Amino acid sequence: MKARLIVLWLAVGVPLLWGVMKTLENALKLFR
Amino acid sequence: MPASFLDRESTIAPSGYNRFLVPPAALAVHLSIGQAYAFSTFNLPLTKLIGLSHSAPADWKLTEVGWTFSIAIAFLGLSAAVFGHWVDKVGPRKSMLTSALCFGGGFIVSAFGIRFHQLWLLYLGYGVLGGCGLGIGYISPVSTLIKWFPDRPGMATGMAIMGFGGGALIAAPLSLLLMEHFKTATSNGVLETFVTMGVIYFMFMLIGVYSVRVPVADWKPAGWVEPVEPRSLVTKANVADAVAWRTPQFWLLWGVLCMNVSAGIGVLGQASPMIQEIFSGRVTPAAAAGFVGLLSLFNMGGRFIWASISDYIGRRNTYIVFFALGILLYSAVPTLGHLGSIAMFVAAFAVILSMYGGGFATIPAYLRDVFGTMNVGAIHGRLLTAWSVAGVLGPVLVNYIRQYQIDSGVPKAQAYSVTMYIMCSLLLIGLICNLAMHAVDEKYHYRPKSPGPKSSASSRSAS
Repeated sequence: MKARLIVLWLAVGVPLLWGVMKTLENALKLFR
Repeated sequence: MPASFLDRESTIAPSGYNRFLVPPAALAVHLSIGQAYAFSTFNLPLTKLIGLSHSAPADWKLTEVGWTFSIAIAFLGLSAAVFGHWVDKVGPRKSMLTSALCFGGGFIVSAFGIRFHQLWLLYLGYGVLGGCGLGIGYISPVSTLIKWFPDRPGMATGMAIMGFGGGALIAAPLSLLLMEHFKTATSNGVLETFVTMGVIYFMFMLIGVYSVRVPVADWKPAGWVEPVEPRSLVTKANVADAVAWRTPQFWLLWGVLCMNVSAGIGVLGQASPMIQEIFSGRVTPAAAAGFVGLLSLFNMGGRFIWASISDYIGRRNTYIVFFALGILLYSAVPTLGHLGSIAMFVAAFAVILSMYGGGFATIPAYLRDVFGTMNVGAIHGRLLTAWSVAGVLGPVLVNYIRQYQIDSGVPKAQAYSVTMYIMCSLLLIGLICNLAMHAVDEKYHYRPKSPGPKSSASSRSAS
C-alpha cells in the first residue's frame, strides 16, 4: 500500500513540479 | 449480475484502505483537464496552418479560433449541470472514464479539423466534446473526496481543484515543446501536437480511473468524531439535487461564485496587456508573460491553501475574506499603478488571483456544509453554470470598459481604473450574497420514501 501511495503521488507530483519550475523560470523575467 | 470494473460497487475500498491514495486519482483527472487554461498557446499557431510563418488569407482568424475556448467553457458548465446527477449515480470510475474519452477524443476530433481545415470540427472536438470532458471530469472526484475527508472537506477538494489550476502550468510548456518537436517545413506541428496530447491526457486520466475508490457507507476516519454542535451553516441532513436549486441558498451561492469568478477571470484574461500598458516602457512582453505565469501559480496555490484554511475558519468567513480583501486590493490597484510600484502591483494581483482560485476550491465544501453530502456532486455541477456566466461577464466588462475609456481619450495607463472599481462593485454584490447565507429550511431536507427515523437520510451519504 505504501509503495502504491508513493508511485501515485510521484505520477502526479513530478509533472506538476516540472510545470511549476517552468512557470517560475518565466516569472523571474518580470524581476530581471 | 456481477458488478463490472466500472461500476460503483467495484470501487468500494477494502477495510484499512489509505484514503491518501484517492487525491492522486482526482489530481490525475484535474491536472489533465486543467490544460484548458493553456489553450491560448494554440491560438496563434492555429491561425497559421496554411501560411505557416504568417496568416494566409485562407487561414482561420484569431477571433474565430478564440471561440473554441469559449465553447469549451460553456459546455463545461452545461455538462456539469446536466450530467451531475448521473455522475453521483454511477460513481467516480465510470464518470472519470467518460471524461477521459471525451477530453482525449476531443483532441483527436480537433486534429481532424486541423488536417482538413474545418473550423466546425475544431469547435465540435475541443469545444463541445472536450468541454463535456471538462465538466464531467471536474465534478467526478469531488463528492468522493468529500466522503473520504469528512474531517477536512475543504483541504480534500482544494487538493483536486488545485490540479485544475496546475494543469495549465504543465500544458503551456508541454504544448510549446511538442509544437517545436513536430515542426517541419510543411507543418507548424499543431496537428501532431493535438494527437499526441489527446493520447497523453487519455492515458494520464486512466491513472485516476484505475486508482479511484469510494468509501463504504458511513465511513469515518479512525478516531474522528463528528462535532456534536456543528457551525451554524453546517447541516447533518441532506438536500436532493432536484430540490436544492429551488432554495434561496443555492442562488445565493451561485451569486457568490459568479461574482468571485467574474472579478478574477476578467483580469486573468487581460493580465499581459494590462501590466504592459499600466507600466508602459518598463514591462516587456516576456516579463508580462512571466507575470501571467506568476498569477497562474497563485491561482493554483490559492486553491489548496484557502480551501484548507476554510476547514478552520468556516466557509462563510473565508468568502468574507475573499470579498473584503478583494475590494481593498482592487481599489488600491489604480493608486499602485500611479505610484509606479511594479512589486506592489504584482503582489496585489497575486493575492487577488489566489482568492479567485480559492473561490473555486472552497465552493464544494460550502455546498457540502449547506446541502449535505448525498447529492453534492450534482448540486456542484449545477452551480458551475455560474462559471459559464462569469466566463462571459468578467472579460466583457474588462475589455469593453477599457476600450470605451481609451476611445474617450483616457491614457492607456489609466484605462483600467474604472474597471477596477467595477470589479469592487461585483465583489460587493458577492459579499452581500454571502452575508445573506443561512441554514436551509427543514422543509427542503431529504426524507426517504419509506417512513423511518430522520437520521437515515444522512446514512446515504457514502452510498
